[in-house]
Amino acid sequence: RRSPGRRRRRGPAAEGSSPRDGGSMRCQVSVLYFARSAELAGLRSETLSVPREITSLQLWEEIVKVHPRLAVIRDQVVFAVRQEYVLLGDQLLVLQPGDEVAIIPPISGG
Amino acid sequence: MEESEDVPKDFIKLKFEKLSVDEVSELVVSPYCGAVSLFIGTTRNNFEGKKVIRLEYEAYTSMAETEIKKICRDVRQKWPSVKHIAVHHRLGVVPITEASVIIAVSSPHRAESLEAVMYCINTLKASVPIWKKEIYEDEYSWKENKECFWANSEK
Repeated sequence: RRSPGRRRRRGPAAEGSSPRDGGSMRCQVSVLYFARSAELAGLRSETLSVPREITSLQLWEEIVKVHPRLAVIRDQVVFAVRQEYVLLGDQLLVLQPGDEVAIIPPISGG
Repeated sequence: MEESEDVPKDFIKLKFEKLSVDEVSELVVSPYCGAVSLFIGTTRNNFEGKKVIRLEYEAYTSMAETEIKKICRDVRQKWPSVKHIAVHHRLGVVPITEASVIIAVSSPHRAESLEAVMYCINTLKASVPIWKKEIYEDEYSWKENKECFWANSEK
């Protein structure tokens, strides 16, 4: 739908301005699944293309689109983005290509 | 005589093999310390009347090691006299009565190492991305530490 010409208009100056079509700049992130979330998703890791600027809740919704069975644990998980915990909510994430995003169900170490 | 004996060290290991109390305590022993305090977490054979056959652990290994390093940093801020800290956690299958975690801390006097060990295990349970699956006779269950602030949250 988008021609290469339009992509050229989104240069460095476009960063920080609100995307007209809601997160049109995307990047590939490495999504990791653990414990119950790995069972529900059916895999332990994959690469997904997601908007670079996105709230943590929107990121969850992107992932649930790919793995609808994850919806049942929405109220019990947090993310770890670049190995820092992030609650599902309004927090704005600025993702870089290759970033690790992990689904973290309630922990039980020790 | 090596000056490196003075340098406080953190020994952090996640491994699939059986843990050794001797190995972990020897890591933290120091001629400058009069106390070594230990915590050993072992697997119980029952939960709410159900017989536990075994436990299985998995971890987000790189982040777990980073979080344990943060715990060690916190320990040294709170108890500056602590010398060495060792945290070994087992992954994979852990049979009943075997250790899933061993924490050892050395300090010149006993109060600091005793308090630091308690802080380590309590904080590990709240913040380190490791998961335990309890296997019963007919089913299994992913456990959730009560210390985990995002468990059982209702929105």
